Amino acid sequence: MTLNAKIPEGRLEDKWRNYQTQSRLINPANKKKLHVIVVGSGLSGAGAAATLAELGYDVQCFCYQDSARRAHSVAAQGGINAAKNYQHDGDSVWRMFYDTLKGGDFRSREANTYRLAELSAPLIDHFTQQGVPFAREYGGVLVNRSFGGVQVQRTFYARGQTGQQLLLAAYSQLYKMVRMKKVSLFTRHEMLDLVLVDGKAKGIIARDLVSGALKRFAADAVVLATGGYSRVFRLSTLAIGCNGSAIWKAHKRGAFFAAPSFTQIHPTALPQSSEAQSKLTLMSESLRNDGRIWVPKQTDDPRAANDIPEEERDYYLERRYPSFGNLAPRDIASRAAKERIDAGFGVGRLKNAVYLDFKHAIERFGINTIQDRYGNLFDMYKKITGIDAYREPMQISPAAHFSMGGLWVDYELMTTIPGLYAVGECNFSDHGANRLGANSLLQASVDGYFILPNTINNYLAAALNKEQVSTDHPAFKQVEVEVKQHIDRILAIQGTKTVDHFHRELGKVMWQECAMSRNRAGLERAIAQIKQIRADFWSDVKVTGHSDELNTELEKALRLADFIELGILMCTDALQREESCGAHFREEFQTPDGEAVRVDDLYAYVSAWEYDQGDFKLHKEVLDFEFVQPSVRSYK
Amino acid sequence: MKVTFKIWRQDKPQAKGAFKEYQVDELTEDMSFLEALDHLNERLVLRGEKVIAYEYDCREGICGQCGVFINGRAHGPHPNITTCQLHMRSFKDGDTIVVEPWRANAFPIVKDLIVDRSAFDRIIEQGAYISAKTGTAPEANAILIGKAIADRAMDAAACIGCGACVATCKNSSAALFTAAKINHLNSLPQGKPEAHQRVLDMTAQMEREGFGHCSFTGACEVECPAGISIANIAEMNARQGKAQLLG
Amino acid sequence: MKVNTLFFRKSIVAATGLFLCLFLIVHLSANCLLLLPEQAARGMYNAYSTWLRENPLIKVVAYALYLSIIVHVVYALLVTIRNRKAKPVSYAVNHTEANSSWASQNMGLIGLSILIFIVIHLANFWARIKLGLGADVGVDAAGNKDVYEVTYALFHNIYFVLFYSLLMIPLGLHLHHGLKSAFKTLGFYHKRGLEVLARISLIYAAVIAAGFGIIPFVVYFK
Repeated sequence: MTLNAKIPEGRLEDKWRNYQTQSRLINPANKKKLHVIVVGSGLSGAGAAATLAELGYDVQCFCYQDSARRAHSVAAQGGINAAKNYQHDGDSVWRMFYDTLKGGDFRSREANTYRLAELSAPLIDHFTQQGVPFAREYGGVLVNRSFGGVQVQRTFYARGQTGQQLLLAAYSQLYKMVRMKKVSLFTRHEMLDLVLVDGKAKGIIARDLVSGALKRFAADAVVLATGGYSRVFRLSTLAIGCNGSAIWKAHKRGAFFAAPSFTQIHPTALPQSSEAQSKLTLMSESLRNDGRIWVPKQTDDPRAANDIPEEERDYYLERRYPSFGNLAPRDIASRAAKERIDAGFGVGRLKNAVYLDFKHAIERFGINTIQDRYGNLFDMYKKITGIDAYREPMQISPAAHFSMGGLWVDYELMTTIPGLYAVGECNFSDHGANRLGANSLLQASVDGYFILPNTINNYLAAALNKEQVSTDHPAFKQVEVEVKQHIDRILAIQGTKTVDHFHRELGKVMWQECAMSRNRAGLERAIAQIKQIRADFWSDVKVTGHSDELNTELEKALRLADFIELGILMCTDALQREESCGAHFREEFQTPDGEAVRVDDLYAYVSAWEYDQGDFKLHKEVLDFEFVQPSVRSYK
Repeated sequence: MKVTFKIWRQDKPQAKGAFKEYQVDELTEDMSFLEALDHLNERLVLRGEKVIAYEYDCREGICGQCGVFINGRAHGPHPNITTCQLHMRSFKDGDTIVVEPWRANAFPIVKDLIVDRSAFDRIIEQGAYISAKTGTAPEANAILIGKAIADRAMDAAACIGCGACVATCKNSSAALFTAAKINHLNSLPQGKPEAHQRVLDMTAQMEREGFGHCSFTGACEVECPAGISIANIAEMNARQGKAQLLG
Repeated sequence: MKVNTLFFRKSIVAATGLFLCLFLIVHLSANCLLLLPEQAARGMYNAYSTWLRENPLIKVVAYALYLSIIVHVVYALLVTIRNRKAKPVSYAVNHTEANSSWASQNMGLIGLSILIFIVIHLANFWARIKLGLGADVGVDAAGNKDVYEVTYALFHNIYFVLFYSLLMIPLGLHLHHGLKSAFKTLGFYHKRGLEVLARISLIYAAVIAAGFGIIPFVVYFK
């Protein structure tokens, strides 16, 4: 099978318009006859569900949480990028496109990335109109700040809660459509499998997490908006419930999985403090605007941070990357931190952190300005660590954060299964091998609000006036039986170890071998280890309770079973990519001074994996750079 | 460290619940409160017992899904935090920690410590939005909003919907939650066209859901993780009065 | 238009409460006459009460007052009933003292004690003077009903002195929370205004409670 990304003709600037001009339309009266399932209620899911409903489609939306407002988009702190050029600092759609492409180390499609930048400006208009309280100047215009990996100020923000404010806008809009009876919302429902009829996505099997009942839902198209899968590392900045199950089930039913190993390690999380830890809290990257990162120049320095004089501090990012300094992209900042920590310069009780210091910023701007910019982050830091960051530097450490990889989608955001779409973080589309800060909210929103509602009609137009599949179709029954067997199998094991035990084991292997730096031997070892974990899980896990009740342990087990398999694919993908690009750093491919070596001749493609009865078959979507010349990514 | 958890267990909404005591050791001060419960649950699994059901998701204080009554306080002993932000260093070795679900008629218990807060969603449904379709927005800077107004809107918009206000309120009033959302939208120019209807509809739903009256005890603003000021309720009352008269 | 009971009932309680607060100021001001030396106090106090009884405007105000008390109580009761229904199960452990004042948590209970006080207070004065129930009330030198004597006699019973004084504590608590709360219920939300309001409420409650509380003792020691 050859992958056809369906990139429209024309100049970069014209592609999206050309696409829209040629895409098929559906009469408003007919749209209400078409049913769409949206799995996930985050920024992309809620945005898509609300907008599709506004257009007239009949939408069913699902989330595993008690309310759509909990989706993890809520946790994005820093902001959302848009090429508005409000700051008059030379920004443009082209520059934003280029920054994003370069930030992703030239491993994404030009056309998709350009469209992301192109639709960023109207998105800010949209959210402003929806009542998002973006930060303002005294005169009433919107404010911007800068973010890692770029030299212009294009990030819009609502204090340190931008994700929350955007999500709540989307959630409210979703409820507007619920009130108008255009969206049926199923909270506390988790999709457990995808149903195909004649090779097309026609519905899902979901578990009612309260009653435990398995339910069938049919539709003319299915949209997955299920977010990232970095919980595969167990310790991550993600919500505990975030999982890869929906996309993994879709993958096993035929959707190709693209670039699974491209996962971003965020440089500014709080360090792990114990084995029992369940989550690493993110401190917004925006802190790097004013904070300076350093470690002591001597290893195992026993002194308190404030006792270490200026000349004995190593501001290693400023030293290594003078032009970007503390604003170097995430992958670079994370790797540089890991390098210092591994070399013995780490700070904190477990020597697993670096300092993020606001002393100079406070001296320069005054404590009030810093409070205004980051007050809630400083408060949060104090709540968790008990440390006042106005007086002494924060301790930060890298943590698994974002999945650039995900289901392979074409320009229309359709996966390789006809009628199955993936939007937001769960797809692989715009970020390449590394995502720039404040581009995540952007991509999720643009996918859900602007792109999908304009592309899905191209597919659904053909579905119109065809016989619609009902949940009585044998395919639904068969998948439901398979899901039930899968659940029963887990419950029947009654072994000796908890789900969390296996998750910790998986996380350790993944963090060790498939995180910030990777090598052949390690990845091969990891695959063997994960296979062992899989075997142990399926013979020795213990899950108490039943399937026909609210059972949080069973939910965790089902998610972990999929994570384990996904972990194998991630390592497999990292193994095949013999180059270093973006977040994917292969130790064998680096310059003598430790910078990544990208191999464009061999690896300028998107890896897209086909599931083949427990094995994975590699397909390649070659990336043609028609409009820009991939350059060596340098932030020096 | 070692503590005794006294936890409300209730299998089903209609079932009769009861407190059950659990001795838990091997805890450390760095653990979060929820990690201590995780730890307990793992022990329960190994003993073949059903795990305690409690809610959480982001574990960084923003999603609003976690929330239990801990030793007589919503979200535990400290003001303005979520349950997930509470750490075991706030307790002493040997303490008994009483854990109860949110209690409110409008928040029926689902299981153990999990309650159903969908009443909040239904209040939102009644108008916590600006009725503008995707694609109809004017240029963002065409709407000028002074910093003071934007900041005040943001203060109100910070609500995370955890329900601590209802839980701690002796009357289970949802006034703080509802007021925060109304004031966020109604103070912005974008929210003005529907301002009166929004107040009337959202407060009507608040009434239908069976929440109590606001007595201004002020407990809600102390327990609110987002620090929403109780003055918001007074502001909502003013908006309500205006809407009743003019709407 | 349908009225929202959550707002309507509280607004009624607040409005009647504020009216009663206003009344208390007038009441206390007049009672301050009792602090004067006996000769001056008796004449002025009795003259004032006669004027009150005979002024038609005051009659209207008096009916508004009775109505306010009744409406305040009835609506407070309705509010309390709904509140109880909204929280049918209470917590096994609840440290309300950590987040709110005792008075704010117990306005109903405090209100009840004040209601009992009012009933007894009315029986002591209103019933005798206006309804003519119980022992006859004499006439002073100026020909006015000798209300002063009624007061004087009552407050030479130490039990009444203690009752009248101690019950001013719940009154003070009720007023302290009630006054500022009433303004908020009626939609006053100015940020600095609320800070001023909180201070005014405290001063008002303290003055009213201390003023009324001290008078029985002053009279007792006359």
